[in-house]
This record gives sequence, structure tokens and C-alpha cells, in this order.
Amino acid sequence: MIALRDLVIFAGLMALAAAVVASLFPAREGVSPVPACSDCALKLTGGYWIRQYGNYASLYLGTREAARYGWAYVDGRPLSVGESVGCDPMYLWVLNGIAYVSCNGNSPAFGREVGVLAPAAAVDISADSSGPGCTYTADVVSNVMNGTVVTLDVYNSYGELVYSASGAAPTSFTFSVPAAGTYRMHVYAPPLLDSWYTLYAGVQISGTKFVVYTGNNTQDLRPAVSLKVFDLTGFWERGYGSVVVYVDPGMRSFTLSAPTGAFADFLLAWEDCPNCDPTYGALYVDEVWRLTFTQSGPVLAHVFSQGGYWHKVYADGQLIWTWNMQGPKQTTYNGANPSIDVRFASQASAMDAEALFTKTCSWS
Amino acid sequence: MWSTAYGLIALAVVAFVVLYAASHAPSFASVNLADQLYYAKSQLESSLPSLPRTDKPAYFRVYSNIVRIEVANATYGNHSFPVELPLGYRLAAREENLLYEIYLDVESCRPVSLQGGGAAVLYAVELRQSVDVLPWLAVYYADVNAAAYYGQLYSLYRAWGRPPAVGLDLGAPLSKAEWALVYNATSGSDVLYVAAPPSSPYIVVEDYPLAIPLACPR
Repeated sequence: MIALRDLVIFAGLMALAAAVVASLFPAREGVSPVPACSDCALKLTGGYWIRQYGNYASLYLGTREAARYGWAYVDGRPLSVGESVGCDPMYLWVLNGIAYVSCNGNSPAFGREVGVLAPAAAVDISADSSGPGCTYTADVVSNVMNGTVVTLDVYNSYGELVYSASGAAPTSFTFSVPAAGTYRMHVYAPPLLDSWYTLYAGVQISGTKFVVYTGNNTQDLRPAVSLKVFDLTGFWERGYGSVVVYVDPGMRSFTLSAPTGAFADFLLAWEDCPNCDPTYGALYVDEVWRLTFTQSGPVLAHVFSQGGYWHKVYADGQLIWTWNMQGPKQTTYNGANPSIDVRFASQASAMDAEALFTKTCSWS
Repeated sequence: MWSTAYGLIALAVVAFVVLYAASHAPSFASVNLADQLYYAKSQLESSLPSLPRTDKPAYFRVYSNIVRIEVANATYGNHSFPVELPLGYRLAAREENLLYEIYLDVESCRPVSLQGGGAAVLYAVELRQSVDVLPWLAVYYADVNAAAYYGQLYSLYRAWGRPPAVGLDLGAPLSKAEWALVYNATSGSDVLYVAAPPSSPYIVVEDYPLAIPLACPR
């Protein structure tokens, strides 16, 4: 009687014999062939390797070619022609006939990155002109969670560092530039972010019958120009203690000393008559005012008055100064807004002039 | 006694051979890329109305699965109310063997006159896609009069108390739009040009089943 024991012994001996016979083959044959597929995932053990040829890649077991694919990639890198890669176990993904080999089991992803998931950092800048000077805010956000260190440097037009700060993103930097001018801002968080921005802090002037100078002007520009605006901000930025401004052909001058902590500074020289004074007479000195944008707002201050006609000086539409007539004699006007409107009215109405000074803070 | 021992030894040998053969046979699983791609896109499609929306350029440059919007004033009759105009998308979905990323951003939108003499609005949309071949890109425009559409949006605004998003919060019947995909070698990106009727409130770029509405910035 044949017992179960005898069957087991017989099967064991047969399997042993099969294994011995298989191991005697010159190439180590696998126990089953590699399935042919165009989209599949395989785990191969027993000494498989892949070799790239000019227009195909071959998967070998020992010396026997097991399968052919379009091209072979190893850990995301395409193999060069003649290159071979083998590992045990070998993970093989076949997608659209292309073989992706991985030795550690990380599955390859089909599709390239177009930057949606890439590590990045970016800046949003906003400017505020309502407070003293110009206030800028730089919001830095990053999708890298381990606290990317962001540094922000601000340089003035002479290349001097005026503000510097750093912090871990996401963060926000707020700083105000004290004086009008052009600033360069550098925001960097290597290797994610390295950008330069230009900040414009200044006073925009619009109006009628006026010209802006950044130095002396002694020309007789009547009748087109009745108001000369001298922008002194640049002198104070360069560190002058005082300046002498020549305003008329008669070389009349005004000496002005540096204001402390001013954002911008202007001298306003106005002429009241289109033809009555000789060309080399006292021109553009009938009303002389100084407009200083201080940290608390614009301040309009009286410097000098003369002339035979009556004058009226308005600030923000309000009559503050009269000459040769009944009316207010206010020598200082403090503006409440970041902008101020200055208007000069003359008995000779052809010389009426108006200038609107608006503090502007912008960036690009 | 001895025969039992022989039996056990034989059993061990058989077990070894079977285990050895099993561990050395190639293990096989089929990979269905088309299903994975469809699943990634349909997942994105279903999450589209609930994605975070931002009007800050920095946020749109950094985060993924985000919609760039612009809040604009719309009018319905003599009512003025805010609406969100979707202008850009950064979408990504990862499957086992697939990375699906799509980047869409309206670069410009301007009225043009067509060769036939009609008027149209020409959208220029920057398009980047991770799966190189856009198989069957379809582009539609909302075939609805903007005034009527904004009337429906106004009732949404009244109901919700917050600005509704054009195209994302309220759909409309779609019609095929004329489009062209132009590859720009200088910037390395594709620009999708779409001509839509001036009365249409938005267009839809569809990589089926993902349909992405885009509006015209004000």
C-alpha cells in the first residue's frame, strides 16, 4: 500500500532532481519566463540585467535575452547606448513599452515636472504713502516647510545699505524709506529666490505755469512760467548743510539750511507780473515759500514777499496769506494729507499758478 | 519512526524547492496608465470648485492646487456686485506611476476683429503640461449672454453673501471655440490662443475629464 509518506518522498526526490538539472544548465534559466507586456510592473530576482542598444534595450537573464523594450531608464535617468545595469531584485516598470528600472523599489512616475510642485519662494510688495515717508511691505511665501531663511536688503541710490532684515519664510518685512529717492531692494533666499526690485519714493508735481529745477535757474521765463519749483531733496541726501539758491536774473539768492528728517524739500519762487519788472530786475521773488514734506506731513512756510500787486496764497484751497490787501497772514501751513495743493493768485491773473505736490510710493 | 523522519526531510526539501521557485519567479502586476491619468484628472475636476483661490501673485507662484483670481465688479441691472474671475491654475495630482501637472495662466485678453468681419475676444493662455502629448484638448466658450449669466451670479451673491467665481461656482452651456496651440521656443512654454464671442463670460479648457474655466481680466 502506498502511503502518503511515499508520495511525499517521491515528489521531493523529483523536485530535487529538477533543481539539480536546472542548475546544470550553462545559463541560469528562470523558473518561468518574463511576461511580455507593454504596461506592467515586474519584480525580477535571479540575476536579471538590462543593456541599452542603439534603438532598443534588452533584458537579460544570464546570457539569455528575456525581453526587449524601447529604451531603458534607471532611477529616472536614461541609459546611454552600450550601458548596462543589473541588480537583484530588480524592479521593472514597463510603460508604453519603455522600461523604467529601479533597484530600490521606488516606482517611477510617468510625466515630467512643469514647476507646479517645485520648491519655490516668491515676494509680494506693496507700498503705502499714507504714513511718514514711504512704507513698503514685502511678503515672502515659500512652499518649503523647513523655514527657508529670506534676507532683504535695501540700498539707496549711492549703493549704501539703508535697511536689512532676515527671517524664515513665510514672513513679512515692513520698512519705511526716510527720504525721497530711488532705492534698490534685494530679496534672496538661495537657491529659491534672488530678485531685485526698484522702489520709487518721491513727490509728483502737477499743475499750471510751473517748472521744476534741481539746481539754480536765473532765467526770465515769463509769461509761460510764473512759478519756479526748486527741488532740494537731492542736496540734503548728498549731505549738504545748507544751499544757496539763485532764482532770478538779478542773481537774488536764498540760503536754506538742511531740514532734519525731511522726506522731500522744495523752494517755491513766484512772479506776480507778466511784463512790469525789467528782465534784470527782481523776478520770481514776489512770493517765496518753502515746502517741506516732514515725517508728519507737508509744511508750507513763508520765506519772502514783495511787489506792488496784491497776491493771494492758497494751500489745499484755503487762503493762508495775502500781500498788499486785507486778509490772513499765516506764515506756516501744516498739511494733513500726503499731498498738498499750493496756488498763487495775482492781481495780474495771467500769472496765477498752481502746483499739486503728491507723495508717491511705487515699485517695479 | 525512521520513515516519519524521512517524510519530514522530504517535506522540507519540497518546501525549499517550492519557496525557491516562488521567490525567483518574476512577480507581475499590470499597470494601467490610462486609468491612472483619468483618475488623476477626474480627482482634480471634482476638487476644482473647492480649491483655494488667491489674488496675490506670490501665492500663485509658490503653491500648488491653487486658483489665481481677480476680484472685479460686475453689474446686473443697476446692481453692482463683486465677482471672482479665475485667471490661472496650478494643478498637480500624483498617481502610482503618473505625475499629472497642469499650469494655465491668462496672459492677455483683448478684443479683436475676425477675418470674416465679426468681433471676438482673443485669450492668450500660457499652458504647461506634464504629460507631453495633450491627447484630446478641447476648448469651449460659455454659450450664454454675459448679462443673463451675471444675473444668475447676482442671485448667488445675494444668497451666499460672498463673491461667486465665474465658471467655477456656476456653469453654463458650452460651445466649441476656435483655438490654436502655439509653442514658443524662447520661453519654452505653449500659448493657447482662444477666440470667444465678446458676449461670452468665460472659456473652458478641457483635458477630459478635467474642464478648467478661465475668465478675462478687467
